[in-house]
Amino acid sequence: MIAPAPSANAGEMNDPVADLLIRVAAQDRAAFRLIYSDTSSKLMGVLLRILGTRAEAEDALQEVYTRVWLRAGRYDAAKGAGMTWLVALARNHAIDRIRARKPEQSDDDAVALVVDQAPHAETRLIAAGEARRVTQCFDTLEPDRAEAVRGAYLNGQSYQDLADRYGVPINTMRTWLRRALLKLKECLDQ
Amino acid sequence: MTDTSDQTPDEMTPAQADDMLAAEYVLGVLDLPARMVVEKRLKSDTAFAGLVTAWENHMAGLNDEFTETAAPMNLLEGLEARLFPVAPKKRRSWLGWVGGAVAAGVVAFAVGVNLPQPGPPAQVVAQLAAADQALVYEAAYERGALVVSRLAGSRPVAGQDHELWVIAPGAAPVSLGVLGDDTLRVTTPRPSAGWVLAVSVEPAGGSTTGAPTGPIILTAEISA
Repeated sequence: MIAPAPSANAGEMNDPVADLLIRVAAQDRAAFRLIYSDTSSKLMGVLLRILGTRAEAEDALQEVYTRVWLRAGRYDAAKGAGMTWLVALARNHAIDRIRARKPEQSDDDAVALVVDQAPHAETRLIAAGEARRVTQCFDTLEPDRAEAVRGAYLNGQSYQDLADRYGVPINTMRTWLRRALLKLKECLDQ
Repeated sequence: MTDTSDQTPDEMTPAQADDMLAAEYVLGVLDLPARMVVEKRLKSDTAFAGLVTAWENHMAGLNDEFTETAAPMNLLEGLEARLFPVAPKKRRSWLGWVGGAVAAGVVAFAVGVNLPQPGPPAQVVAQLAAADQALVYEAAYERGALVVSRLAGSRPVAGQDHELWVIAPGAAPVSLGVLGDDTLRVTTPRPSAGWVLAVSVEPAGGSTTGAPTGPIILTAEISA
């Protein structure tokens, strides 16, 4: 279970969230309170965007912070930033939730809702170096492919959702997206 | 049909296929069964977990696009009440259903204490009870199995089930099964003192994600 740290871009010189996670892993309740006040707005934003309703996002937020308390010991500051770990935890939980509810109801409305809610976020300025890099690499993709990758990441859309949205068969969508990811990877590795 | 195993484009090597699967998982485009396969693999395959972490770090560049939205502080209070219940006076001070678990685990490891193993007769190891005793489950350990029976209350409404979880120090909850009308008997090593049992409300048949998805309604620490 304990992985040797890969040659990751540690860069955790000043990462208050990472420091808090390490304290939470040591069962520090004050740190848990602090990490909630410092990061819950961000995670609420993640959950709301993917899940679409405030009620479900709040419900999910409780589960996410329960897991933060339970799993903080798995966080390894050498492998990435604290906030990246938290956002991944929240996204994974939200995506598991919408995939689990999928058979019961059509997601179309919910997906349309979240897409409508935040269509212009791409115009925001992004500061971090890695962030600039990934967005620069997005520019190497064809615009609709880049949009599909972003849509998947930010809105939690599945292959099926994307195929419906772009009006192509799911296998075509998968091929598109994989080619886009390979190209993205090529650019990121440079 | 939507799993990913048969979708490897001809030009991909196995290593590339793994990297692609990691990317697809991080992006979130996989369906639930495929996600569960990945999540299971992540627990044991550290090289693959490294690929997932690398993609998480790459894609984190998009995280700034999630707009911050104030979360209610009373939610924190609810969480704290759930995670750190106030210890009743007569009991030894346990730090909460998880805090206690971890603390007990840490102490046991630090001092090198071997927790006493139970004798063959059934031994009650935990009682999971609502504050008003409207719902009570009792967990006993006998002959290599954990046996859980409902002493009070009933199953949740139609379409839902109670699910039993065990939580080892520092670990994620692991399902022991759905609590139906019959006694639940699970063959398992005896959970150590300080571990936590929890009951959550799940869709009928139990959580499909491998983790609790509904509210955790009862918790209890395993007694020595």
